[in-house]
This record gives sequence, structure tokens and C-alpha cells, in this order.
Amino acid sequence: MRSKWIRQTALGLGLVSLFSLPVTAQPLYTSVDDDDEEEEEADSEEDSPEWFAVVGADIHDGRGGVLRGASLLAKDGKIEEIGYDLVLPEETEVLDASGYRVYPGLVAVKSSGLFGGSTDLEDSVDPFNQDMVLALAAGITTAEQSNQAAKLKRGEIEGLVMNPKTSSSISFRSSDPKGKRTQRERFAAAAAYLRAYRQWEEDVKKDKELKEPSKSGIDSTALAVLRAEVLPWFSADERHDLLEIARLAQEYGFRPVIEGCGEGWTVADELGRAGAYAVVTPRYRRARSENLVRAGGSSIENAAKLHAAGVQVAIQPASTGVSLGGIVGRDIMHLTIEAGFAIRGGLSEQAAFEAITIVPARLLGVAHRVGTLEVGKDCDLVVTDGDIMHYQTFVQWAVVDGKEVYDKADELFFAHIRPRPESSIAPESKVDPGEEVVEEIEEVKESAD
Amino acid sequence: MHFSPWTILGSLALALPAGAAPLTGGGPVVLRASSAETVANGTLEHAVILVEDGVITAVGEDLPVERGIPIIDLPPGWVVMPGLINPYSRVAMDGKGKSDSRPQAQASVELYASHDDYQDLLEAGFTTLGQYPAGTGIPGQAVALNLGPDGPSVALDPAYLKIVLNASSSSKRMLRDGFEEVDEYLEKEAKNREKWDKEQEKKKKSKKKDDDDEKDDKKDDDEKEEDKKKDSEPDVYVPLVPDPEVQVFMHLRDGTLSALVSIDNAAEYLHLVDAIGEEEFAWGLRVPLTRDINLYEVTDKIGERGLRVVVEPSLTLHPGTMRQRNLSSELARAGAKLCFIPRFDSVSGHEDLLLHAAEIVAAGLERGAALRALTLEPAELLGLGEGRGSIEEGKRADLIFLDGDPFEVGTKVRAVMLDGEFVTGEVPQ
Repeated sequence: MRSKWIRQTALGLGLVSLFSLPVTAQPLYTSVDDDDEEEEEADSEEDSPEWFAVVGADIHDGRGGVLRGASLLAKDGKIEEIGYDLVLPEETEVLDASGYRVYPGLVAVKSSGLFGGSTDLEDSVDPFNQDMVLALAAGITTAEQSNQAAKLKRGEIEGLVMNPKTSSSISFRSSDPKGKRTQRERFAAAAAYLRAYRQWEEDVKKDKELKEPSKSGIDSTALAVLRAEVLPWFSADERHDLLEIARLAQEYGFRPVIEGCGEGWTVADELGRAGAYAVVTPRYRRARSENLVRAGGSSIENAAKLHAAGVQVAIQPASTGVSLGGIVGRDIMHLTIEAGFAIRGGLSEQAAFEAITIVPARLLGVAHRVGTLEVGKDCDLVVTDGDIMHYQTFVQWAVVDGKEVYDKADELFFAHIRPRPESSIAPESKVDPGEEVVEEIEEVKESAD
Repeated sequence: MHFSPWTILGSLALALPAGAAPLTGGGPVVLRASSAETVANGTLEHAVILVEDGVITAVGEDLPVERGIPIIDLPPGWVVMPGLINPYSRVAMDGKGKSDSRPQAQASVELYASHDDYQDLLEAGFTTLGQYPAGTGIPGQAVALNLGPDGPSVALDPAYLKIVLNASSSSKRMLRDGFEEVDEYLEKEAKNREKWDKEQEKKKKSKKKDDDDEKDDKKDDDEKEEDKKKDSEPDVYVPLVPDPEVQVFMHLRDGTLSALVSIDNAAEYLHLVDAIGEEEFAWGLRVPLTRDINLYEVTDKIGERGLRVVVEPSLTLHPGTMRQRNLSSELARAGAKLCFIPRFDSVSGHEDLLLHAAEIVAAGLERGAALRALTLEPAELLGLGEGRGSIEEGKRADLIFLDGDPFEVGTKVRAVMLDGEFVTGEVPQ
């Protein structure tokens, strides 16, 4: 019964491990106090919770920890327990992943086309979109599209958007000095407003008649950035642009996100001090400017050097969509491969994995829900047949909100490549030829037997 | 707009060649066929159908026939079945619609009654036709037509409200807004009523007071005169008149009108269900079965609701493959009610409908479901299911006569009977 869905109905399988008694069962992490548990139980009697468990797998929690042959239990899509000898409630949907590995679902810091539809994801998503299936096959369970962070929930249109506004794009480049000055003025005005506002907050306690400082003329984006309500998203590769962004960020006290960051390795210290996030593409190549003496151009060590300097590095591939031609191999289906090139440049495997999970999750403002496997977070995970960073590894199952959304054996794309031992790779069976044809086929089969 | 039987007779005398079946003239006539597809009660062998005054009054196998009633014996192998009904057509219509919400628009005002296509459709075996208004958004109300030798006449108007939904917030809002406007009207109306009631109460009180005063004081005669004038106004409450588009949505809610929602893929079905939310009204689906549509993702959900689905009899491909899927069959098996419409909304498309339905039957669709999809279900969709769509007692004698099994390649419609009268073709005697 290796790696097969088993619907647990009887008490007989209530215990995952038969070697220990339920009394001694000690989950490694627990989320709730006893009191809370009682309350929750009272609640759950009304609408029975949905339980889901992955058992027997090597669980990589995404923070560096590995539990060999452990189990993960989720309740209503949230991780309830991770550990050994978990007591599974009846009716738990169990995924027996013995011999497989479990990782947190990958997070794509930018994507296009995965959700189909247009800018209003909630009302236009196509949850049967083929690109979504392919992205799940690549291990991605959360992605940004149209400045919204959303889950790859298949067949459902509800509850997929986690953050309706992930970032504010800010243009700040040396090719547009006027624009740069405008941006500076905006931040200066917003900072002045904030100072006035804080002063007013103090003064109003003494004199209730005092008027709130006027917001007119204050750029709302700059204000939101300074209030840390939204991350400012810059796009820059050149060393002096990167330095200017770092200085701007330090001057006004915000954390910049810098997409590209091609020459970041030459100014990694400055970027680290500015608390920057870098969104890099390790296979990105740019030539060094020949008329400058200083170091420049792209470097395979970019991600590693940035990380070493304290920059939070997220990795994105050259194409943010699913490309089945042209740029194939450098599209969003190859996020782990792209991260592999950062490892080649000296980034640790753990940091490279974080660059496609928890760091993008932080960038998208959803790190409290996804990016690692922790009690209380969403049960968004992938089950693989090997090290997720290895090029030969396949995602066997993907789970979002405690529900299976991808099974390699059930989809047309990869079912036939190194099929799972028990998988009946017959995509034909998905196609409905009509009753009579089915009967005919069966007759032929019988006569062949 | 109904014709009198005499006008039909008059035109028929010219239309029918010599040797055709006898005209019945509205009196009783018996049809005897080796096979009849009743749709409602399966296939009858040695079927006997009694038609009186354009209505089927008896159906059965080997029924005895009273002496004196004229009998039409169909040639061996011929099959009689209810007239075909296409509930969703724009044949003989032209023009493009708009993309906004205009539920009060009516297809019936854009008909060309004298268009030749109607006669061609009749000859192809279609006895009832639903015509819908063009456009996206909420284009308006469809009309059901009786096809006849003198051109079409209105059978039911409106037949259904056509809605086009796509996966976008504006489209979903359009549907929600329609019902919200009804709520707003009802609220306004309730307030108006309350106000009126209060005024009535006041009037009564003041009248009482006046009566009391009258005993004491009879001086202010002029004032009284005025009061009497006021009292003489009729005390009947006149409700506010809702806007026409609001009225349409009220009809959806009270069940006097149903909706046919056009969607293009599985995702749009989910968005439709989301947009409808808690609202309860009768609705069906129109889904064009395009080459590699992924409707199979939601066939179970559609089937669970027992929805009526208007589709072309076409096989589709599983996306990304060249494997064929019979979505009609999948829908029917899941519990949906099929309505077949021609693959192409042209005269030749209508002529090919039976052949294409036969393809789907050959590919696995249950025969009964296919027959219903051509007759009874479209009739139900148009709101005409009580009177047509099957060979049953009490239904209109809109029948077609085929020279073989309806799902056999090469079978042709040889004659059409409307309201008990042969209007086209001939039955050899």
C-alpha cells in the first residue's frame, strides 16, 4: 500500500505508529492550550472539521529541520501537529507518503497566467487552468499575480486571494533624474507629514481643539511605504542605482525590494545595511561596463554574496509564466533549477530553498500563513520523490489548504515518466468514450484474457 | 397572432401535391405507424395516435379504431415523433447586440416574419423555435415561435431571459445588481405603503374628530366642504411602478420567468454560482461545446442541480490531447437535462441536427436522452412543456414523419404535421 490515499474510517488505523500507545503520544509541536481545545471541540460539533494527514514522510519544515518518517496533521486546512505518533481523528484523509519527502509549497514572488483571468483575481480566476496544474507540478502553491498574493486552489474560486495588494512599484533610476527628484520630494513630504502627525498625536492630548495635519499633497504610496503598510518595489541592476536606492531607504527608514539587483554583489554590504530584499535571477547575465574600472556585470555568486551580507534573497526565473517553448527551462516551472544556480554560486541549500519559499512569502506579506511548515500555518505542502532541489525530482502530490490539488499519477503531463509503482497510468480512463465503447473495450479485454 | 384553420387549409391546397395525405380539416384522424417515438413513454410499436382538433387525444399500441374515422397508415419503417424544437436560435435575424444590461429588451420585436428561413426550418422538421436577443451582458428576453406555412406566430413571449456571464467582476456585478435593484424597489415600495397607511390613519382620525366637532360646532362650513372633497378621493393604494428592467428581475424571482445563462468554460460556471449566491430562481445553461472545453470539471455539479443545458451535439477533445470526449453523454449521466441545438445556426445546420445527434448517440449518449434533447427539454426550456414536446394525450399534434429510425444515417423528414394538419411533405398512401 505504499503511497496511496487511504480514507480512514475505522478506529483500527487511528494510530499511525503501532509501536506506541496513544497515552504516550507526544506531538513535537502543539498549537493550542487545553482550554482552547475544549472550546474548539464544542465549535466543531456543529460543523465537523476536515482532517488531513500526511504520514510516514521525511518532513522538511522549510526552516532547516527534518523529521524522518514523521507525520503532519491538519485541521480545516491549518497545520495542527507535526511529529511522531500522532493520534489521527476518525475520518482523517490520510496520504501515506512513506519513503517520500514533504516540503512547504514553493512561493513564486511573481507569476503570470497561473490563475488565468484578469486583474481582479477573485472574480476572474480560472481554477481549472492548465498552467495552474503545471505550476503545482513544479511545486508552487502560492504565487503573486496582478499585485495580489494567491493560492493555487484548484477547482475552487473562494479564499484564494491572501493579500489583495502585495507591493507598490516605485520608479527610481538614473536614466530619469527628474523622476528621481520627484520621488525624493514625495518621501520628504511624507516624512514631514508623519513627523507633524506624531507631534499632533502628542499635542492633541493637551489641546483637543488642535487640527489634524493636512494630508493634501502627500503621496499616498510614499506614506504607505513609510508607515510600512506596503513594500516599495524597485527595479534596478546597476551599481549606482542600487546604491542610491539603499541610501534613500536608509534616509527614510524603509526596507526596499529590489528586483533584478544584477550588480548587487558589488555593493552587497550597503544593500545589507539598508535591510533590502533582493529578487534575483541567478542565470541572469549582463556584461561589465568596459569604461569603468570598478567591478561590474553579473556574477554567479550574486545571490550568495547578497545573502552573506544580510540581504533577504528571493529567486525568480527569467520567465514568470509557464513557457512550453522558447525560454523553456527558465520559466516558472523551473524555480528549483533557478535556485540551483544560486547554489552553484555558493549560496547554501537552505538559503536557496528559503529564497523560493519563506522569503517570497515575506515579500508578499503572507509569511504568517505559508512559506514554512509550522503549527498554525496553512497546510500547503508538496510531497516529492527526492530532494526538491534535484533536477530529477518530481512532485508527486501537492496539497493546498489541506486538500489534494495535484497528483502526478492523475494528470496527463508527467504520469508516464517514472510512474509510481501502483499508479495505473491510463489517462484514457479519464476520457469518456460513452458506455457502449467502454463495454466494447471490456469485451475485447475479456476475450484477450 | 394565431391563424384560423381555414387559412392553413387554403395555403395547403396549393402547397400539397396530388397524392398527398388527406387533409383532415380539423376532424378526428388516426395515424398508424410501425413505430412512434413518444419521448414521454418510450418507443411504441404498431402505434396508433388519435388526433382531434389539432390535439392528440389517444396514444397506444394496436388500439382499435372506431369505424368512420379516417386512418392514415404510414409506410412500413416510417417513424413518427414529436416535432423538433430549437430553443436557442437567431436564424432569420440579424444585427449585433450591445454588451450592457437590458433585460427588458425583447427578441420578438426584431423578427422578420416573412423570412424564407422559417419555411425551410419547418420542412427540416422544426415545429417550434426559440429566438433570443443578440448581445452580451444581459441582452434581453427570448421569444418562442410556432413555425407555420404562413410564417411564424408567437407561442410565448417572453420565453426566457438570456444572460451572458463571463469571469469578471463587472459581469458578476451585473447579475447581482439586477436583484439588488429589486430589493431597493421593494424597500421603497414598503416605505411608500407605510406612509400611505399612516396618512389613511390620520384621515380617519381627523374625520372622527370632525364628526365629533360637528355636533358642537356647525360654523366652519367651507372647511368641511374641503374635507369632504378629500374624503371622496378613492382610498385605494396605488403601488409604485417599478422600472421595466426591475420588473424582469422580479419575474425571475417570482418564477414567472426563467433565465438561460451563457457560459464558456468550467470556471465561469463557478463564477456564475458565486454571482447567484443565495438568490433563488429558475435557470439553465447555454454552453458552446468548443473544441477542447473543460466543462467535464463541473459536470457533476451541473448534474447535481439537474440543470437544463443547451449544447450542440458535438464531440470535444480532452485539452492537450486528441482524445475525444462525449460531454453530452457525461452531462446526461450526471443528471443534467440536455437540449440539442444545431452546430451551426443556419438552415443547413438545422437540417443536419438529427444526423449530428445520431453521432452523439453512436458515441454513447442514451437514446432516450437524445430524443428528449431534441423535443421535450427544449419545450420545457421555452415554457411550453405542458402542450408540446412529446406524443401524449392532450398535447399539440406537432408531429414529424421520418422514413426510418431518427438516429440512422440517411433518415429524412418526409412530412410535418402542425396542430393536426399536414403542412409540408407527403405521406404516400
